[in-house]
Amino acid sequence: MNNDIPVQALGGQGEVMAHAVDACVHCGFCLPACPTYALLGDEMDSPRGRIVLMKEVLEGGLPLADAAPHLDRCLGCQACVTACPSGVPYGELITAFRGWSEPQRQRSALDRSKRWAILKALPAPRLFSVAARVGQFAKPLAPVLPAALRGPLDLLPESVPAMQPSAKVTPARGMQRGRVAFLVGCAQQALAPNFNAATLRVLARNGIEVVIPDGQGCCGAAALHTGARDEALKLVRANLNAFNPDDFDAILSNAAGCGAGLKEYPMVLHGEPDETRAKAFAAKVMDISEYLNTLLQNGELEPPVPASRPLTVAYHDACHLAHAQGVRAAPRALLRHIPGVSVLEVPEGDLCCGSAGTYNLEQPDLAGQLGARKAKNILSTTPDLIASGNIGCHTQIQSHVRRQGSPTPVLHTIEILDRAYRGEL
Amino acid sequence: MSTEKLALTTNSSARKPASAGGASNALAADLTRALGPRKVLSNLSERLNYRYDAIQFGATPLAVVLPESTEDVVVAVRAARAAGVPIVGRGAASGLSGGAAPLEPGLVISFTRMTRLTIHPERREATAQAGVVTLAVTEAARPHGLIYPPDPASFRTSTIGGNLAENAGGPMCFKYGVSGDYVRALEFVDAAGEVHRLTRDVFDLAGLLIGSEGTLGLITEATLRLIPPPRFTRTLMAHFPEVGACAEAVSRAIAAGAVPSKLEFMDRACTNAVEDYLHLGLPRDAEAVLLVDTDGEDLDTVQDELRLVEDACVASGGTVRRAATDEEGAQLWRARRSVSPALGRIRPQRMNEDIVVPRSALPDVVREIRALGDASPLRLVQFGHIGDGNLHPNILFDPRTEDAHAVHDLAHRIALVAIRHGGVLSGEHGIGSMKRDFMTDAVDPGTMQALRGVKRALDPSGALNPGKILPAEGVDG
Repeated sequence: MNNDIPVQALGGQGEVMAHAVDACVHCGFCLPACPTYALLGDEMDSPRGRIVLMKEVLEGGLPLADAAPHLDRCLGCQACVTACPSGVPYGELITAFRGWSEPQRQRSALDRSKRWAILKALPAPRLFSVAARVGQFAKPLAPVLPAALRGPLDLLPESVPAMQPSAKVTPARGMQRGRVAFLVGCAQQALAPNFNAATLRVLARNGIEVVIPDGQGCCGAAALHTGARDEALKLVRANLNAFNPDDFDAILSNAAGCGAGLKEYPMVLHGEPDETRAKAFAAKVMDISEYLNTLLQNGELEPPVPASRPLTVAYHDACHLAHAQGVRAAPRALLRHIPGVSVLEVPEGDLCCGSAGTYNLEQPDLAGQLGARKAKNILSTTPDLIASGNIGCHTQIQSHVRRQGSPTPVLHTIEILDRAYRGEL
Repeated sequence: MSTEKLALTTNSSARKPASAGGASNALAADLTRALGPRKVLSNLSERLNYRYDAIQFGATPLAVVLPESTEDVVVAVRAARAAGVPIVGRGAASGLSGGAAPLEPGLVISFTRMTRLTIHPERREATAQAGVVTLAVTEAARPHGLIYPPDPASFRTSTIGGNLAENAGGPMCFKYGVSGDYVRALEFVDAAGEVHRLTRDVFDLAGLLIGSEGTLGLITEATLRLIPPPRFTRTLMAHFPEVGACAEAVSRAIAAGAVPSKLEFMDRACTNAVEDYLHLGLPRDAEAVLLVDTDGEDLDTVQDELRLVEDACVASGGTVRRAATDEEGAQLWRARRSVSPALGRIRPQRMNEDIVVPRSALPDVVREIRALGDASPLRLVQFGHIGDGNLHPNILFDPRTEDAHAVHDLAHRIALVAIRHGGVLSGEHGIGSMKRDFMTDAVDPGTMQALRGVKRALDPSGALNPGKILPAEGVDG
């Protein structure tokens, strides 16, 4: 798309944005992929429309405040990136745009404090854990609270587990095949500590030594995607210092959102001195399923214990795995590798579940509609288990599946593999 | 040549007038009173997004209506008429000729919320409102053992209303025909805001509306014919060291009696653009790739027919690969459907031709067009529904570095090649604003007068999609 974006004035992120706008030929192939277009049916709430809005704002032809409501509704699911034949890096555009525009936003005091709380709590597992416990006590109040506060309470699990700090080094069992670094994640540690415990057990069982480097923190994705670029940069730089890519075969994440965030570091630092370091770092980042699948493809994955009975697993593609990272085959291959397990495909599988980072908190209505639609689609396959590779999807799907009256367990892909290894499947 | 010929720059040529609109303009206020705020868009951020299709940017509309019923369309048309502003109908705006891009500020009616769809299996019919997405018709019909064959490349996005306005084709059109061949009845709203329901007996007025690009009326609903899907389909891909040889293979296969369901061609640049996107292992070095489906009720016949095509390809110097599985066949077709937007990877903008020539002339035509491209500094690519003689030569360019006049000139020379070989300017994408100026080469003055007479009869004030299809008065003498 032709544009007069003042790239010079905008610096490295300006180049990122202008490149994406250039690449769009406004063909409309992205429309059917976009969850908000599916719900709202108008051009401004489609990827093509949002690219036009961002272009107009960057060129100075449209006030930011006019475009903002439509840009805020974007989930950042990147289904449009998968659908785009012209190769528009839409995810990079919206992320960079949010970072550029946030300092210019006029937000209400309530909005500002909510965002501040989220950005402080998310990257601090202990604080988040405390907040979640407080939220638990507040749950009975939910019916009388405003929707903006009710949304997050609805998502809290029945009980918030105790924090379980992981060992700094988990040795390989048997012959050592590899050595990886692991990003432990933030909210996930508080809400689902078992994801990390299962990850460490499965890797150790496969002869992989796992190091949890000191000084690591939140990947920064939540801050970045909500436009808090300065916060995000601090977190990004801390992680670049904590992880030395030369020391490890891979840098692993078991949360799709975090993995995608880590892979975005070169884009975040485009045009800055740390860009080269970020590239070396990102080149080593893998999702846990990608890494284990390379072992599987090399014939090096320990065979899991067969399931005690035939099991069907509905696999949910997390947007940040399928669209942002292009990881679709690996988790399915791992699940199918367990004798007795078959994988079910979910109708409208490419449509976001509505969790999308902080979306539940910012757009509770649209998030709720998408969550209900996703749960209905998943349950239509009548699975024994539901699997996904992202904490956000996990929480959202579990909440909506329960709301639709189903007790079907929702698990992380790695938990299913871990149970299989332990003979508990 | 009119001054607004071919808006070859996407947005600089038609910047929104600073004073056009704002939430307070009278038309938007009238419409909001009549239809309620949910169905009317009047903010600049909203209106900006209804000025383009998949090729061109036009003028920012004064207001946009998202009707939910035919009655809403009537209200909108009457309001625009009272305000004296033009009306442009719009589906998903995936069109390639500027058809849905307004050339002057007015009212845009976007049909994306008119999505009621009913299947009548006993009559083998579907009733679809204008905004139903094309693929949705087949998806709804399939459980009843029926399909809707017209399958433009954009079928996941484009709407039935848009398909009919452009008389869209698609790979299936060689054997099964184009959108217009599946219309049993139409409902449309005329320029005065009256609703009409047309069948195809007596005067085939439905046929007149189909392909009229929103210049004669606004199609609101259609009754579409459905057919049972063929039981067996087989796919092959052939590649050739020269583009003309591919066209020769097509002529040879058809002369030998083959009636494939799809016969599609893409040249080297197209193959490479798609390969960059999908990584399917397409032959990057081939000058032309041909994709063929044969289908039918009897597997032996389907295989025999595929063999006829295979022999023709080999006889013309091609290398043939049969798709081993349905999945492989589906991937190849996904490749073909992605050609058009994937070309955006090469240059940000393109001039899209849509010529149709007699099949016997195909080898000469593709060679002549290739030669025009080779002689030009601009990037020229070709693909299309070659079985129908429908070719899409595309000029790819960067408006920041390449000359719009040179693009226009090359497009004109390609159009003249088609006309010289007894062809026409549009097979399925419409004339729109992109090829309007070539109409004087393609249509004799008497016929042009007849076309103008039809337009005047149905749209006396010229309010419906002005500036499309017919060149400005006086150009044709």
